[in-house]
Amino acid sequence: MKRQQVYLLILASITIPLFLPLGLKHKVTPEVERFYQTVESLPAGSTVIVSFDFEASTIAETKPLAQAVLRHLFARNVSVVSLSMLAEGTGLGYSFLREVADEFGRKYGEDYIFLGFRPQYQATILGLGEDFAKVFPKDYSGNNLSDISLTQNVRNYEGISLIISVADGDLPQYWVDYAQTRYQKPVLAAVTAAMATTYYPYLSSGQFSGLVGGLKGAAEYEALLGQPGLGSKGMEAQSLGHLMIIALIIIGNLSYLIARKKI
Amino acid sequence: MLVQFYFQAPYLDHAYQQVLDWVQIIYLFTLGVGAINLIKIHLKKTTFRREAPYSAITLTGILVMLFFGLLQGKETGSVFDWVFKNVQVPLQATMFSLLAFFVASAAYRGFRARSTEAFVLLSVAAIVMLGRVPIGNLISDNIPDLANWILNFPSMAARRGILIGIGLGTVATALRVISGIERTYLGK
Amino acid sequence: MDFSTSIAAILSLFIFSFLYRDNPFYKIAEHLLVGVSVGYFLVISIDNVLIPKIADPLFERKDWSVVVPLFGGALILARLIPKWSKWSQIALAVVIGVGAGVAIPATLQAQILTQMKASMFSFVPPENSIGWLYVVERIVILLGLTSVLAYFFFSKEHRGAFGIYTRVGTYFLMIFFGATFGYTVMSRLSLLIGRIQFLLEDWLGLLN
Repeated sequence: MKRQQVYLLILASITIPLFLPLGLKHKVTPEVERFYQTVESLPAGSTVIVSFDFEASTIAETKPLAQAVLRHLFARNVSVVSLSMLAEGTGLGYSFLREVADEFGRKYGEDYIFLGFRPQYQATILGLGEDFAKVFPKDYSGNNLSDISLTQNVRNYEGISLIISVADGDLPQYWVDYAQTRYQKPVLAAVTAAMATTYYPYLSSGQFSGLVGGLKGAAEYEALLGQPGLGSKGMEAQSLGHLMIIALIIIGNLSYLIARKKI
Repeated sequence: MLVQFYFQAPYLDHAYQQVLDWVQIIYLFTLGVGAINLIKIHLKKTTFRREAPYSAITLTGILVMLFFGLLQGKETGSVFDWVFKNVQVPLQATMFSLLAFFVASAAYRGFRARSTEAFVLLSVAAIVMLGRVPIGNLISDNIPDLANWILNFPSMAARRGILIGIGLGTVATALRVISGIERTYLGK
Repeated sequence: MDFSTSIAAILSLFIFSFLYRDNPFYKIAEHLLVGVSVGYFLVISIDNVLIPKIADPLFERKDWSVVVPLFGGALILARLIPKWSKWSQIALAVVIGVGAGVAIPATLQAQILTQMKASMFSFVPPENSIGWLYVVERIVILLGLTSVLAYFFFSKEHRGAFGIYTRVGTYFLMIFFGATFGYTVMSRLSLLIGRIQFLLEDWLGLLN
């Protein structure tokens, strides 16, 4: 098989289910359940940090994750202080935050705030523990933090109940390394599937209170929220795509074995 | 920075916070060096006939973002925001989506179960791939449970071993940097 | 099919054209991406970091302490001039040193001690568990952890009983890599699904 034929096969296996949804059900995994229950147990009026630590390349996974998490937080009347430690995550995180906040009629400055972008994760995470205003004198829109009602009451990690990192890289680990080690803040991670296996030790040791991984994780979370979204939409295409990859591995190995026998 | 973790003193705390603040600014300049270097390279490439049009596109992209971003602002509805959402994000997302095709091609051409280890790797991959999608549940109720068990126990144990190894290496390297034994970051 | 979506879709198709072969459309899209990304990064850095952290303290509040990191930044920029590039090592050393200093307690606590603590458990199964499975799982965790650590210990030759133990570690690593590979395939397919959904639904309006 030529490589273009393989490409067409994978394209077909992903595209056809988008036109013919089968309505397949999926099981919710314990780690997503734990994530959900941690957010669910937050008292109304608490404040969490949501860090959009991803780039535009993984938007297909991180957008459903971010939207599901934000919808849950706003539905629980939890205030959100958000930031990004990656430049592209800044623009994307800000637009996701505003979209979901508008859905729930939340007010900027009272119910949520977007601090903006800071590089150098160590200095940012540790600095936020001392004083938000020292790290971010102004928010993303240029307002002084001292003029914003949310940050007048919540000035550092003492006022924060939980830290959630929506990420496509190593940053959730650094939230544990620096924010949890020094300030004992619980951390939740919503990550792309490629990073999910790396974080199971953190989940097992309790350093992560929950873990949502990839588009499947987002679909499970949406099922728990009772609000199907972008995660659920892609599940059948994902199923057939996986079957196709497994079939290609098997066919490739069989043709290799047959060719070896002939020699 | 190491000492202040273990001792409480006002002057140490103040120094710690000040240094954290300063390092963020200095770090940004290191990223800026990369950006400036890129601009230098593309300016040079505009003198080569074959690459000139492409380098001109790169430089135009940089100038458009700088001009509109700094003068008009970055709020929703601005040119900066429009270019980010309708040019940068789709291009970046599509660039990475190509990997799906390459993974499929590699799966057919390259993933051979030539040894027991490779067979174990491919089998576990197949179980996890099936277990993590609804169709796995349709084939058998046990597949998602098996995938979950693999992720939470043997895979997790191996990753924990790697993590502890990396942690020991990180601490050792950090101590070598602090004591001046390790100076490769200076180019020595 | 509005103008903005069409531009995004056409640029996406330029990138997809690479699947056939490298071509000028792909090159245009690639170079445009590089340019726009660098421009975006510079604007966010200047507007969101440099102005509030340097310009405002210096010009509005007359806080002269900002001159110190500014000088550090200037030293970093000296790297661009070959004659002065060795001065950038001072600022680089500060950044690396700070990183090393804060990393030690954090890594020791989070990556080593807590992970070790999580591996020190009782073999007595709790009341609401399947007894034999609980014990098997704990054995798997300990075996996996210790055999993988043994595999990465290269100061001793992997021979004899130790060699057999490290082989067990190899198999655990293969299980981890297999799981990671499975998840990575899932991740890459998700990215493609996202783009196809965008083209078919947002651009062409073919999906409900």
